[in-house]
Amino acid sequence: MLTPTPYLKKTFYQTGDQIAFAARFFREVFRPPYQWREIIFQCYLVGYKSLLLIGITGFIMGLVLTIQTRPSMAAFGAESLIPGMVSVSVIREIGPVITALICSGNIGSRMGAELGSMRVTEQIDAMEVSAVNPYHFLVVKRVLATTLMIPLLVVFADSVGLFGSYVAMNIHSRSTLYHFFSQAMGKIDFGDIFPAFVKTFFFGFAIGIIGCFKGYHVSGGTESVGKAANSAVVSASLAVFVIDMLAVQITDLFNR
Amino acid sequence: MPKEPGYRWKLGLFATITLVLLVIAIFVIGRQKNLFGSVFNISTVFRSVSGLKVGNNVRFGGIDVGTIDDIELMTDTTVRVDMVIQSSVKKFIHRNSVASISSDGLMGDKVIVIAPGQDTTGAQRAPVNGNEILESRAPIETDQIMVSLKTSADNAAIITTQLAELTSRINSGKGALGKLLKDTTLSSNISSTMKNLKKSSEGLNENMEAAKHNFLLRGYFKKKEKEKKKKEEEEQKKEEESSGKTPKDQKKQ
Repeated sequence: MLTPTPYLKKTFYQTGDQIAFAARFFREVFRPPYQWREIIFQCYLVGYKSLLLIGITGFIMGLVLTIQTRPSMAAFGAESLIPGMVSVSVIREIGPVITALICSGNIGSRMGAELGSMRVTEQIDAMEVSAVNPYHFLVVKRVLATTLMIPLLVVFADSVGLFGSYVAMNIHSRSTLYHFFSQAMGKIDFGDIFPAFVKTFFFGFAIGIIGCFKGYHVSGGTESVGKAANSAVVSASLAVFVIDMLAVQITDLFNR
Repeated sequence: MPKEPGYRWKLGLFATITLVLLVIAIFVIGRQKNLFGSVFNISTVFRSVSGLKVGNNVRFGGIDVGTIDDIELMTDTTVRVDMVIQSSVKKFIHRNSVASISSDGLMGDKVIVIAPGQDTTGAQRAPVNGNEILESRAPIETDQIMVSLKTSADNAAIITTQLAELTSRINSGKGALGKLLKDTTLSSNISSTMKNLKKSSEGLNENMEAAKHNFLLRGYFKKKEKEKKKKEEEEQKKEEESSGKTPKDQKKQ
């Protein structure tokens, strides 16, 4: 008779816990007290603090994409299509995914380590004892912050990426900023921008909820904090790709 | 975690900038799709739209002035196409304008092209008010092109078979052309005829010389010789005069 191995069993337990953890967020998010100051400070940590990193990667993303596509486009004599092509690929796919991956590295690991060390040093237990809901106090504001800030970071990354593409276009040929952006935006439709924007909310939610879950459920000594941070990054990156795949399929269905 | 000073305005700045960028992008796209500007509607009816899609561009004078809003089958042979067009070009589109379907480049999307009508005077010349149904010109389908190509190919086939028959007849030496090219007796006949002609023309020359010495015609021929000599003398004089002038002219220049 086939029995599930302990590893498989553990995976299913973890998945179940993760889903329960995510479901609890929706129960707790509308429950007072609303800690606006805390939420805004978390937003600051997630959004503003990642700005430089996201800006640099976004710029390089647009720059590199333009330089790399130029030879194959030039072979067709279609260099004037590069802005449109780059803008479609950056706004639809590369901008959201790269931003989400970098944030899952940057923010997911921090949340995992933060909550993990709180759990290990028994701060979370202390909260429970003193009748403070630790989930509401720690998790809700963090997940809200990532859900709201990742879309804005993606918009920022897209804009900077397109500017990087403009700079790369000017390496070989001369074009004005207005000319470049009118060419780039000419290929963009609401069908491109809307699904890409909606899926970034899901990216943000996944990064926040996975990072918090991994930290919140740490058990053991100090070394498990490092493990939690590590697995938060891995799981969040994986979740970003899975959500992206689903989003592409759903968008494709509606575009038909 | 200790809160850094000024985090609130920094977050506010970041959120404002990104939201403004998002709004700008939405408005730029919306302006292209005529969602926020002032627009009017106009329709046309085709038998077939040959792959036109909602959202394709509408061109007037080669400029994108609008987009296709809706495509709907009305009966089994008519398709109604609703267009949204910028109000700024309303005064240029007259009621007798003609809509046709064209494609943007060799592989590009289909577009609707609105062309001004032929009639340049009269009531039909008035600009559209909106919600009118324009005349349409049927698009040229690739099937139709193929049909006309087929008839010309059939014609070419007939011509080539006839040409082949003709050349084979010529090669086998039938008919006047074949004789001319192939028959060797014909050419020998022709050359003997030419010889005879030569002989008879020589005889004619002799006859003419004899006629010159005849007393009846002698006077006429002498007169002719005199006139000839006179002309030659005059020409010589002219030549001398002109050769005397030309060197001077050259020096002047």
